[in-house]
Amino acid sequence: MSKVWTSMVTAALLVLPGISQAEALTDADEIVSRANLAAYYAGADGRSEVRMIIQDAQGREQRRQFTVLRRDVEDGHDQDFLVVFSQPSDVRGTVFLVKKHVGADDDRWLYLPGLDLVKRISAGDKRTSFVGAHYFYEDVSGRGPDEDIHVLLHTTDAAYVLEHVPKDPSSVEFTKYTTWIDRETYLPMKIEYANATGRVYRRVEVIEVTEVDGHPTVTKSRVIDLDGNGETNMEFRFIAYDIEMPADVFTERSLRSPPRDWLKRPAREK
Amino acid sequence: MKQAITSLAIHRPRTVYVIAAVLALFFAAQLPRIHIDTDPENMLPATQVDRVFNDRVEQVFALHDAIVVGIVNETDPDGIYNKQSLTALHTLSREILAIEGVIAPDLMSLAVSDNITQGESGEIRFAWMMNEAPATDAAAESIRSHVSRLPLLMDTLVSADGKAAAIYVPIASKDLSYPISLEIQALTDGLAGNDSYHITGLPVAEDTFGVQMFEQMAVSAPLAGLMIFLLMWYFFRNARLVLAPMIVAMTTVVITMGLLVGLGFTVHIMSSMIPIFLMPIAVVDSVHIMSEFADHYDPEKDVSETIQRVVGHLYKPMLFTSLTTSVGFASLLLTPIPPVQVFGAFVAFGVLLAFLVTMFFIPAYIVRMKPEKLENLSRLKAGSDADTLLARALRAAGRFAFGHGKLITALALGVLAVGVAGVLQIQINDNPIRWFKDTHRIRVADKVLNQHFAGTYDAFFVLEYEDDLPLADFRKRADTLLNDAGRLGADVTSLRATIEQDAADMLAYFDAIIAVTDDLLFESEQGNEALEALMSLAEEAQSSGKYFQNPEALQLVETVQQALMDTGGVGKTNALPDIVKVVNRELFGGKAEDYTIPATSPAVAQTLLQFQSSHRPQDLWHMVTPDFRSTAIWLQLKSGDNQDMSQVITAMDDYLKANPLPDGVTANWAGKTYINVVWQNEMVAGMLKSLLGAFVMVFFMMALLFRSPSFGLLAMVPLTLTIIAVYGLIGWIGKDYDMPIAVLSSLTLGLSVDFAIHFIQRMRTLVAEMGSFAVAATHIFEEPARAIARNAIVIALGFTPLFFAALVPYITVGAFMASIMAISGLATLLLLPALMWLTAGWLFKSTTRQTSASTSLTESTGDSL
Repeated sequence: MSKVWTSMVTAALLVLPGISQAEALTDADEIVSRANLAAYYAGADGRSEVRMIIQDAQGREQRRQFTVLRRDVEDGHDQDFLVVFSQPSDVRGTVFLVKKHVGADDDRWLYLPGLDLVKRISAGDKRTSFVGAHYFYEDVSGRGPDEDIHVLLHTTDAAYVLEHVPKDPSSVEFTKYTTWIDRETYLPMKIEYANATGRVYRRVEVIEVTEVDGHPTVTKSRVIDLDGNGETNMEFRFIAYDIEMPADVFTERSLRSPPRDWLKRPAREK
Repeated sequence: MKQAITSLAIHRPRTVYVIAAVLALFFAAQLPRIHIDTDPENMLPATQVDRVFNDRVEQVFALHDAIVVGIVNETDPDGIYNKQSLTALHTLSREILAIEGVIAPDLMSLAVSDNITQGESGEIRFAWMMNEAPATDAAAESIRSHVSRLPLLMDTLVSADGKAAAIYVPIASKDLSYPISLEIQALTDGLAGNDSYHITGLPVAEDTFGVQMFEQMAVSAPLAGLMIFLLMWYFFRNARLVLAPMIVAMTTVVITMGLLVGLGFTVHIMSSMIPIFLMPIAVVDSVHIMSEFADHYDPEKDVSETIQRVVGHLYKPMLFTSLTTSVGFASLLLTPIPPVQVFGAFVAFGVLLAFLVTMFFIPAYIVRMKPEKLENLSRLKAGSDADTLLARALRAAGRFAFGHGKLITALALGVLAVGVAGVLQIQINDNPIRWFKDTHRIRVADKVLNQHFAGTYDAFFVLEYEDDLPLADFRKRADTLLNDAGRLGADVTSLRATIEQDAADMLAYFDAIIAVTDDLLFESEQGNEALEALMSLAEEAQSSGKYFQNPEALQLVETVQQALMDTGGVGKTNALPDIVKVVNRELFGGKAEDYTIPATSPAVAQTLLQFQSSHRPQDLWHMVTPDFRSTAIWLQLKSGDNQDMSQVITAMDDYLKANPLPDGVTANWAGKTYINVVWQNEMVAGMLKSLLGAFVMVFFMMALLFRSPSFGLLAMVPLTLTIIAVYGLIGWIGKDYDMPIAVLSSLTLGLSVDFAIHFIQRMRTLVAEMGSFAVAATHIFEEPARAIARNAIVIALGFTPLFFAALVPYITVGAFMASIMAISGLATLLLLPALMWLTAGWLFKSTTRQTSASTSLTESTGDSL
C-alpha cells in the first residue's frame, strides 16, 4: 500500500513539477540572498580552472587561462580569492590576491613576475574589465546584495525575474539590471544591463550548469557586449569544493610563491 | 543634316516642344533618387592601394571618423580647470554619448577617461578621471595635476596651456558628421557659462561642405541664371526671346543630371558642379544664334527664312565648339579619379546635348514667336545696335588689332612669359577646411582649436612585422615532437590537425595549439615529455611572434615617434610605448625615472594586462593589434594642408632611408589627412595628363575641321594664352592649386577655344564671300565680333553672383568664368586678328583671290584710321 502511495506521489511530482518545489518565494531580498550564496559561496572553499576566450568585434580572440582558489570567511560575507595565471605564457605566474569585504572596499594585491613586483591595488569602482575580458571585476567576485534595491517582477515556471536598481548610480555604468534566477538552483541564469534610455547593452548568460560535489555549478558562461564590441566566453574546469584549504594560502606570501599543492589539479574522476 | 534639323524645328515646332518636355519630365523624375556622396575618400577608386591599406588600418585598429568638439575658456585664470567649465564638459560629454550614431565606447573625453595614480598607502589606484563633475574648484584643479601625468591625455584632451578641453566623438559613418555636429551645436547652445565651443574635424568639414554645397547650388545656380537672363535681356531687349536660352539651359541640366542620377551614379562634390558648368555652355550657342538673328531680322522677310540662314551660318562653328568643349571635358576620363571621370563624362554629354537642344529648340521657339513680339528686335537693329558703345568699341578694337599686329603679338608674348613665370610658382595644396571662408564657424573652430591643441588633424604611421620563417620552423620541429608524443602513447590526431591549420591569425593559431596540448597533457597520467616540449615550443613561438611586445620593438617605435616629431610638422604622437611607460611608472611608485619600457617581453605583457584591467581595455587595440604584429602611431597635426602633410611624409622617407627599419618591419601611412594628399597627387598628375591630352585632341580636331593645320594652330593660340594667363595669375597671387582649380582647367580649355572657332570660321567665310581679306576684316568686327563680345560679357558677369557664395570653390568658379571670358575674348578679338594680319598672305592664300592680302589690308586699315 505504501509502495503504491509512493509511486503515485512520484508520478504526481513528475507530471506536476511545480508542486515538487517549495512554494515560490515572493521576497525579492530573500531570492537575491539565496542567489548570491548559490553563485559565489558553494562549499566552504573551492578551486576551479578557468579558460577565458575574449573575442573582439572583429572576431579576433585572446585567451587567458588561470586557476581560482576560494575560501569563504563567512557564508554570504567576506571571502578570499587567489587567482594564478598560467596562459598566455608571457603572463604566467601573475597572481591576484583578493580579500573581499562585503560593505567595504576589497583588499587587492598583485604580483607581476616579469617585473618581480608585489603591489597593492585599489580601484574607484568594481566595474573595470577583468584582465581585458568583457567580464567585470565585480562579475567575478560578486556584487554585494546590499548595493541595489531588488524588485521581483514576476515568476515563471523556471525562474524568478527580478529588477535591480543601484542605490549609488554614480558608481556603476548601468541604470538597472534584470536577472533570471533559476527557481531550483538559485543560479542567476541571465543578467541584462540597461542604460539610461532603457536599452539593454550587456548580457551575461549561463550556458552550462553541472553538478559538482552536490553543488549545481556554472561550467560555461558568456558575456556579450551588445553595443557590438564582442563577447567573452568562460569555461570552468577541474572544479572541486570543500578541499579544506588553510587560511594561510591567502596571504601575501602566496603571491611570489603560489601554493603548488592547492593549484595542482585534483585527481581525475574515473 | 543641318537643313533636316532646322526644317523639322521650323515646320513642326510643337513636336519639338513635346519631345523636349517629355524628355525633361522623364529625367526630372529620376532626380528624387539622388544619392549624395561627400566622402573625399571616394576621390580614389575603391581598389587604390593607399585606400585599401587605409581601410584595413581603420578596420584592424577599430578607428572611426571623429568629430572634434572643443571647449575653450580664455577668461578664467585656471583656464578650463574650474568647476563650471569641467561641469559643462561633463554634461556635454554625457549628452553626446546618448546621441544616436555616436560610438559611445570609443568616445574620448576627460569625463570618460581612466586615471591611474598612487594611492594613499603606496598602492596603485585605478579610477575614472572625472566620473562626476568636480564639486569644487579645488577638485577641478586636482584634475589638472592628474592630466599632466598622463601623456596620452595631455595636449589631446586638454590643451597644454590648460585653456581648452576636447571631446573626440567617433561616429558610425561619415555622412552622420553634419547632423551630429548640429545636435552637438544645439547641446552647446544650451550650456551656460563663459566657455566658448568649437566643432571641427575633417569629417565635419567634408560633410558640412556637402550639405552647404547643395544649398549653394539651390541659390547660386538660379542666381547665375537670373543674372544671365538680365544681361541677355539688356542686349536683346526682348524678354520673350531671351527666355529661350534659359529653357535650353534648364532642359540640358535637367536631362543630364537626371541621366546621372538615373544611371545610379552618386552626386559627388564634383558632379554637383555640373549645372554650374553646363549653364554657360548651353547659353553660349543660343546667344550666337540670337545675336545673328537680331542682326539679320527683317520684319519684311519670312522669319523661317532668316532663321534658316542664321543657323546655316552658325551650324559649323557651333558644332565645332560643342565638339571641342566636349572633348575638353571628356579628357577628364584620363584622370584616375572616379568622381572627376563621372563629372567629365556627363559634362561632355551635356555639351553635346545642349548643342542638339539648341539646334532644335531655338529655331522652333523663334518661329512660334508672334511677329509683334519680334518687332523691337528690328527697332534695335535699325536704331541703336549698329551704333552702341559695344559696337563702336569693337570696331575700334578691330582697327587697332588689324593695324598693330606686331605690337599685339609682342604684348601677348609678354603676357605669356609672365604667365609661364606665374605657372612655375603655383603652389599645389588643398585642405577641405579651406573650402570654407575664413569667417565660417568650421574655419574659426579649426583655427582656435589648433592654436590650443597639438592638432585636430589625424594621420597614422603604421609599423607592421611580417616574418613567416619562424612558422615553417615551428611546424618542422612540431612534427618531430608529435611523432615522439605519439610513441609515448598520446593520441595526437586532433593536435596534428590543429598545427596544420591556417595560421593567418598567429595569436589564435598558437592559442589553439596550446589549448589542445594542455588538454592532452592532462590526459596523460604519467606525463609526456614530447608534449611538454611541444607546449614550450608553441608558447615560445607565440611569444616571440608578438613582435611589438618586445622592448626592442617598442624602443624602435619610440625612435620613430621622435623622428616624426623631428619633422617639425607633427604636433604630437600617441603610441603603444606611451601606455607601457605610464603603467610601468605607476606600478613602481610613480617616479619619473620609472617612465621607461620594461626589460622583457613578459614584463611588457604584464604591464599591459594591468592597462586592460581598466574601464576601457579596448583602447589598447587602437594602438596595436592583439597579435602584436602591427602597431599604429597616431599623429596629431595642426594643419590639414596637403603641403604640410607632404612635408612630413618626405621627411620620414628621408629618415627611413638613413635609418632603415629592421628586417621584416614595414612602415606605411594611413588616415584622412594622408589620403587627401594621395588623391591630390593623383589629381594633379591626372589633370596635367588630361589637359595635355585634350590640348592635342583639340588641335587635331581643329586641323581636321578647318581642313588646315595652320588654322588649327591659330585656333589654339587664344586657349593657350588663356590657360597660361589664368594659371599664371593663380601662381602670382599665391592662391593654392586645389581640387576646384584643377578641375577648372578643362572648362578653361573648353570655353576659350569657342570664340576662336567662331572668329576663324566666320573670317574664312567672310574672306571667301567678300573675296578680300581687308573687307572681311571690317565685317568681322560687326555682327560676329558682337556675338563673341556679348557672350563673353553675359557669361563673365552672369557668374558674378558666385562671388558672394559662402563656399570658396564657388567663388573660384565665378572668378574663373570671368577670367576665362575676359582673356579668351580679348585674345580672340585682338590677338587672332593681329596674327591673321601678320600671316594673312600665307594663311588665306587658298581662300582669297587677292595676291597680296596684307598689303591691301594695310591700306584699308590705314584709311579707316
